[in-house]
Amino acid sequence: MNQKRVIVAMSGGVDSSVAAALLVEQGFEVIGVTLQLLPGASTGFGCCGSPADIADAVAVASRLNISHYVITMDELFEDKVIRPFVESYLRGDTPNPCALCNRFVKFGHLLGLSEAWDAGFLATGHYARVKEGKLYRAQDENKDQTYFLYNLGPRELFRLVFPVGDLSKPEVRSYARRLGLETADKPESQEICFIPNRDYRGFVKSHPLSSGLDFALKSGPIKDVSGRELGRHQGTVDYTIGQRKGLVSGSHAPKYVVRLDPKNQTVIVGEKEETMSSVCEISDMTWTSGNPIAQGQALVRIRHRHPPAPAHFSLNKEGRLRVRFDSPQRAITPGQSAVFYRGEEVLGGGMIKEVIE
Amino acid sequence: MLESAYLDYNATAPIRPEVMGAVSPFLKDGFANPNSPYRIGQEVRRALELARERVARLLGAKNPGEIVFTSSGSEANSAALYGAAWHSLQQSGRNKIIVSAVEHESMREILPILSSQGFKIYETGVDSNGLIDDGSLLEAIDERTALVSVMQANNETGVIQPIEKIAAVCRERGVLFHSDAVQSAGKIPLDVETLGVDLLSISGHKLGALKGAGALYIRNGVKLFPLIAGLQEKRRRGGTENVIGIVALGVAAQLSLAELSNSQRYLSWRRQIEDGCLSASNVRLNGGEGPRLPNTSNFSIEGVDGHSLAIAFDLAGVCVSSGSACATGLSSPSHVLRAMGLPKNLIKGALRVSTGWRTTQEEVDRFIEVFPRVVNKMRSVSLVPA
Repeated sequence: MNQKRVIVAMSGGVDSSVAAALLVEQGFEVIGVTLQLLPGASTGFGCCGSPADIADAVAVASRLNISHYVITMDELFEDKVIRPFVESYLRGDTPNPCALCNRFVKFGHLLGLSEAWDAGFLATGHYARVKEGKLYRAQDENKDQTYFLYNLGPRELFRLVFPVGDLSKPEVRSYARRLGLETADKPESQEICFIPNRDYRGFVKSHPLSSGLDFALKSGPIKDVSGRELGRHQGTVDYTIGQRKGLVSGSHAPKYVVRLDPKNQTVIVGEKEETMSSVCEISDMTWTSGNPIAQGQALVRIRHRHPPAPAHFSLNKEGRLRVRFDSPQRAITPGQSAVFYRGEEVLGGGMIKEVIE
Repeated sequence: MLESAYLDYNATAPIRPEVMGAVSPFLKDGFANPNSPYRIGQEVRRALELARERVARLLGAKNPGEIVFTSSGSEANSAALYGAAWHSLQQSGRNKIIVSAVEHESMREILPILSSQGFKIYETGVDSNGLIDDGSLLEAIDERTALVSVMQANNETGVIQPIEKIAAVCRERGVLFHSDAVQSAGKIPLDVETLGVDLLSISGHKLGALKGAGALYIRNGVKLFPLIAGLQEKRRRGGTENVIGIVALGVAAQLSLAELSNSQRYLSWRRQIEDGCLSASNVRLNGGEGPRLPNTSNFSIEGVDGHSLAIAFDLAGVCVSSGSACATGLSSPSHVLRAMGLPKNLIKGALRVSTGWRTTQEEVDRFIEVFPRVVNKMRSVSLVPA
């Protein structure tokens, strides 16, 4: 493979624009690729390739004088990201779609294509660091995106480059301004790229998978942990564990969502302490080294921006990893990822399957 | 510019050196408006009329006055389709338009607009070889029919339609017949008299002229509403003539006509390309059974996405395409292959290879040489089910 050629996944945002620019500066033959992940002229935003974002990526590529291609991967995205996302909500879980997109789309199919295109490396604008096939948290802890990248293995990591992983966001922006890149002051996309207006409910509801399986969209009781009905809800899909707003009014202490039971169309709420738990089980574990670890200690992060907390883990008979935190954690949420760290290094991670105690 | 083997002449052709020579005076002193009375204007006018004669000769038009210059093949198609539709509706109330299912996007995109204006659109399908179902097309012609339009050769597959037969019936029934000959002009002999067409579109850059000039043949006596109003081109197309583009078109038309006798060269390359590609497993040739342009091959490579494959070829130094070139560089599934009834995975894996005036044996060899390697590599990483 051509070790001087690098494919850069350019979303049309400032981070991947700067990633491309830095690689050009380093003397690589840089080839920009923008993925169109939603069919036709759908209005997505962020990294899923809306017409406006594609236009921005094209403008930056032309400013940098690099080759650029647009690739459609809408079917793969539907299959590997959107469907599991909808299924997760219908199960009463809270999914982490970006991790799936990274695994199957960006560092799955696109990495494969970059191999066929004779490129030694694939780069993105993610905030994370890779060194000798190992994955580390970003320099800028505020921007660290390893929570969405934990499921990469050595096959991927040895071919990945994250050029902005050593920079802070302000540094990235000022670099982009200095080069006059069109995307220098483009606002951040915080939301999930394929959901317009944060309307998860509307999205899940209108997805064909929901038909016949739409318990999560039906109204039902809000109960406390002892089973007493406190009010009604319009569908468990509207709730996530640990959430406070949107609950029964009139009760003196604020209530928090403790558990979702979409099969019985029930939302279970409780006091703040009742959202705390210490033990959970993780499925679909992957390890960045490629070598599974059956038991040990690690810092475990249970949601984006959650400060990784010390925990012990061991593999159980069902092949799940049982994690016991040294101290109880708030709102451990099925469907979210549990990401394992040793210091700055990412060891791996999986999906939170069940909260045990 | 990069040094790549270029095998995408159906997208566009390199500019001919003779064209560059012929237009250069018009980049300097030959700037005058061809409609101006003074002598330098007359000189430019003469160059325009010479170009018109050359285009008329390429198309077999009896009278150069039947050639109207446009900005492109797309504009010629628009001028024919809108122009004939609106004129017929006004003159005779006819509001039915019959087209094939494999027309170029510049035709297809007009259909919903005409439909919204009250026209009835009838689309005729094609068989698995890409040949139009002329039986059902002819049956669809009735007293409400304003226009029938069938392309002479398809841009993606190169399949040549039996337009002579359709045109004859149209004439008998007093219906206008238009053909988009953008891909066929200069590649196969073309004679508007023998074909019996009333309207025919061509494009300059496909012949090795410049982008930005095309022409519409309008048979004497055929009336159209002008798409662009103005006094130029005998009121048939307004706007000061694109002198450089038209001069270039004339030169390229003359050269293309002379080169029609070279078709053996193209056929030989086509055979080499097809033998080479078909020797790989699970590759099929689309439209291979019917009459085809000598320069075009359309393959379905099972198990890959044609657009990603075309990128792989580009990065391996060969320009080919996954279908028709479109504005954004995005691939959308080919309506042509869909109309031919191909399954989805074969439509996705489409690859078009087309040769032209500057093609060399080395370029063809290079493509054939890299083909198995590129395809195997793509297949090994592809997620399209084989």
